[in-house]
Amino acid sequence: MSTFKLPDLGEGLAEAEILLWHVKPGDQVQVDQPMVSVETAKAVVEVPVPFSGRVTALHGVVGDIIATGARLIDLEPSTTTRGVPINGVDLRASTAARGAPINGIDFEPGTADTPPIEAKNLDAGTVVGTMPTPSEEDLLEPVVIGRARGANGSRPRAVPVARALANRLGLALDDMVGSGPDGVLTLADVIAHAGMNGASAAARPAAPAGTGVTPPSLPTPPGAASEPLRGARRAMAHSMSMSRDQVAGSTVCDDADIHAWDRRGDYVLRLIRAMIRACAVEPALNAWYDAAHNSRVLLRHIDLAIAVDTPSGLIVPVLRDIGNRTPEDLRAAIAAHKDAAHRRSMTPDDLRDFTLMLSNFGTLAGRYGIPLVVPPAVAILGAGKVRQDAVVVADAVVAHRRMPLSLSFDHRCITGGEACRFLAAVIADLEEPD
Amino acid sequence: MAHGWEMQHDDSVVVIGQDVGANGGVFRATAGLQARFGADRVQDTPLAEATIAGMSVGMATHGLKPVAEIQFMGFLYPALDQIVNHMTRMRNRTRGRLSCPVVIRTPHGGGIHAPEHHSESTETLLCHIPGVRVVCPSSPARAYGLLLAAIRDPDPVMFLEPVRLYRAMRQDVSDDGQALPLDRCFLLREGADVTIVTWGAMTLESLRAVVALEAQGITADLIDLATLSPIDSETILTSVAKTGRLVIVHEAARNVGVGAEIAAIVAEHGLYDLQAPIQRVAGFDTIMPLFRLEHDYIPSVQRIVDAVQFTLAA
Amino acid sequence: MTIVAEFQIDHRQILAPDGHLVAPLPPFAADVDAVVAMYEAMTRVRVFDAKAVNLQRTGQLGTYPSSLGHEATHVGVGAAMRPEDVLAPVYREYGTQLWRGVTMTEILTYWGGDERGSDFAGPRHDFPWCVPIATQTLHAAGAAMAFKIRREPRCALAYIGDGGTSEGAFYEALNLAGARSLPVVFVIVNNGWAISVPVAAQTASQTLAQKAVAAGIPGIQVDGNDVFAVRDVVSRALETARRGGGPCVIETLTYRLSDHTTADDASRYRSDAEVEQAWSLEPLLRVRAYLRRAGAWNDAREQSLLQACSRQVDVAVSDYLQLAKPSTDAMFEHLFAELPAHLHAQRTTARKYAAKPSGH
Repeated sequence: MSTFKLPDLGEGLAEAEILLWHVKPGDQVQVDQPMVSVETAKAVVEVPVPFSGRVTALHGVVGDIIATGARLIDLEPSTTTRGVPINGVDLRASTAARGAPINGIDFEPGTADTPPIEAKNLDAGTVVGTMPTPSEEDLLEPVVIGRARGANGSRPRAVPVARALANRLGLALDDMVGSGPDGVLTLADVIAHAGMNGASAAARPAAPAGTGVTPPSLPTPPGAASEPLRGARRAMAHSMSMSRDQVAGSTVCDDADIHAWDRRGDYVLRLIRAMIRACAVEPALNAWYDAAHNSRVLLRHIDLAIAVDTPSGLIVPVLRDIGNRTPEDLRAAIAAHKDAAHRRSMTPDDLRDFTLMLSNFGTLAGRYGIPLVVPPAVAILGAGKVRQDAVVVADAVVAHRRMPLSLSFDHRCITGGEACRFLAAVIADLEEPD
Repeated sequence: MAHGWEMQHDDSVVVIGQDVGANGGVFRATAGLQARFGADRVQDTPLAEATIAGMSVGMATHGLKPVAEIQFMGFLYPALDQIVNHMTRMRNRTRGRLSCPVVIRTPHGGGIHAPEHHSESTETLLCHIPGVRVVCPSSPARAYGLLLAAIRDPDPVMFLEPVRLYRAMRQDVSDDGQALPLDRCFLLREGADVTIVTWGAMTLESLRAVVALEAQGITADLIDLATLSPIDSETILTSVAKTGRLVIVHEAARNVGVGAEIAAIVAEHGLYDLQAPIQRVAGFDTIMPLFRLEHDYIPSVQRIVDAVQFTLAA
Repeated sequence: MTIVAEFQIDHRQILAPDGHLVAPLPPFAADVDAVVAMYEAMTRVRVFDAKAVNLQRTGQLGTYPSSLGHEATHVGVGAAMRPEDVLAPVYREYGTQLWRGVTMTEILTYWGGDERGSDFAGPRHDFPWCVPIATQTLHAAGAAMAFKIRREPRCALAYIGDGGTSEGAFYEALNLAGARSLPVVFVIVNNGWAISVPVAAQTASQTLAQKAVAAGIPGIQVDGNDVFAVRDVVSRALETARRGGGPCVIETLTYRLSDHTTADDASRYRSDAEVEQAWSLEPLLRVRAYLRRAGAWNDAREQSLLQACSRQVDVAVSDYLQLAKPSTDAMFEHLFAELPAHLHAQRTTARKYAAKPSGH
């Protein structure tokens, strides 16, 4: 038994109304004999019998509106020929032909609908065209004419290559300030931000590395496991790589004779005071250097980053504007920072935009060092372990407590003279009594 | 219906074309008009497209507002001489003294297994011409409102009517004489992840694609361009600023299609908002095939879905 | 005042509607087998045409323009042409095309939406069906120009409808043909209607043949339902053109007994009475009557012919229905002689997204 469906009767007609059936169930019919008259939007059309056979069911009565592609009539195909004599004068009558059963005619390919979407049933019977049926169309009236409702300013605007670099570095564009037209983030902005904010990358989950070729992994010996670096360790690997790649580092070492100090401990506050003095003498070391634009900014305020060693790695919180704060205030801030660092509760704001760095590694061990400058800052002072040294005073050898100092500076924009004058000022301040 | 409303309220509107009178147009777009308004105002022209376009210039410059039908876009080309060289230039070259308030309507696009040359989408040719608007509605309701606007507009409008939409949708359109604005897009869906810009019958596929994507948790702004020239950049750029991703869908061939102009606009004015390269889903750069292959030519829902996925993976 | 130009248009008829001769028999008609051959061809195309309409009505063919009523014009023209001549059809003239070797399957394939239908196996040099009205007249003129330049004794013949004679291209083609004395014959099939527009609304010209006068070429009108007259007039015109005697316009008067195409409903704009009247003048009627009167035809032969035609049509339909949907590569195969490199990727994309294949 074969179901014949209403074909598209003329270039995009979606439906037709049954006007008159010329056959009824039980009739033996011949191909091309008149079957049903229907009315479309355009015309009254005679639909002929598609293939010879016996009518088993009609799928509509006079007056019914049948959609294109919907069932129209069921026919049991016959396999024998029955010729109908043709009126020789008037071939408008049907033409007899050996009807071939036509099953599963699918004149049009299926729609391009894919499985997730409701698929049309185009199997048996004939369907011409794939006119969307009215029930499928659910076009909303326009929500908005014209201006789409955009969430203005919800996402930072960036030059695509800057966005790509930020993604690779695991940096959020929201934290950056754009120097391009209308505040667009440029490539330089991302680079600069990455430099100033080296340690701050620890606060953000890093995105996977860029799309460059990945070198093969190191072989892992049996019993060992490869551990990806995260958080502060990852940030350190990143900022030190930047330091190595960008900075022309140079270091000058000396000692401060602190035998005049009454107290022990609290070296940090003395160091801070000394560095403030030194900045006044040699402001060039409290600056940001922009290699891409071959320029530097001498900064009035001193935001001092002090390295803190924690079990999870190196954290470098920043004390803001140390030149204008009381010692008590600074002491409290330092303590708070240490605490927060150990608890890993520092925020990105705590770690960014330092102008000068201090590494008091002497609390652990070490005399002199070659600390690394993290761009865009241009200097870092390292303080080694205080010890009793044999020094010569008025031709006699005496034992004095001394603090070793190592000053690294970016020789691209700091001269040796500036560095040494800075160091001299630090030493001079440190050598004063409490 | 739009014809009827406007002819009722404006004596100067006349309808011309082949078979638009007694026959009511081969898609019945002008059915009943001649009975209502008479054979002077609803005229069957001789079989000549250049005649239709040329006489429209003459009629329009002398007090009438012709709404002319070119039976299929594939037959538009003899009329181009009159359109490009005269209709679109008359105001400019007479410094405003003469002008052509003409609407030329023509069926657009394929998908109804029509004969050769009956499935064209060559809107780019028209969009390139200064001095004319090109409009392509995506639903019966918008066709009504936009046609009214086109007829009322004092300058030439090419009104492309997607053939698939003539009877694809049953939409109750209120005959209220309310025009829709020209030169503006219509936002058919709102979303956050991608902007899809399309027009004409491809709106159907695009809507189906949006539905499929929503099932995957992806939402889209679906913009119906509606006026293909001039382009409402503001709507598109605002949407791209929100979503960061753009997929343009058109049935017309890809090469130098209207999608290319949209992509250029966004590259010029919205580059910093883009998270991924712009994607165009378009007809192939081949002759529109006869209908056994037309659904391979016309971009499918899957192609649109894949293009959106591509922008999200970038 | 002196008259500097006048014109006269003759009308020719040989076989009256009832099958009587009203003019001397042309030479080819003296051979009754030749007449039978033409009658068989007219019958065959009518049987084919009816089947094609039914195929469309049952969803197995796209929009189809029927040639019902035009058989005498079409077969008469076909019989008058030589194989080496070139035909530029409109889209309805199956009688001519079948005579010249186009197959019924090819016709169905084309209207079934497949370009392979236009790749005629038989008349390799004939133009394909031409939908943009009147453009084919210039093609024919151009082919004729080629024959003239290459000194080949071949003619081009372009069909055009009554509506088509309003197009600029038609006038341009006639003008060129006349100005350059090209070996081309224009056959205007005046069937009364251009879709819904009657000839009276199409032009003020009393005949369409006289449009030739403006181009300075001969024009003649003939009863288009009279296969003898059509063949005779067209043969003479072709011979004149072939000899270098220049072009000609022949208007054949007939009637479009069917709708414009299966997408049209002629009852909307013309009366049943008019159509009934036209049936009484239809072309098969009179040839059959002539042959019967000549003792060369009878009911048995008629039945036998109808059955033979039905079988032939069935075979053609079967071949058509079995033609598999072309692969998407078909869109790219003949865009240029060689597909440019930048389209290779699109060809691959099309394959990837190919809609599911199906039969008819």
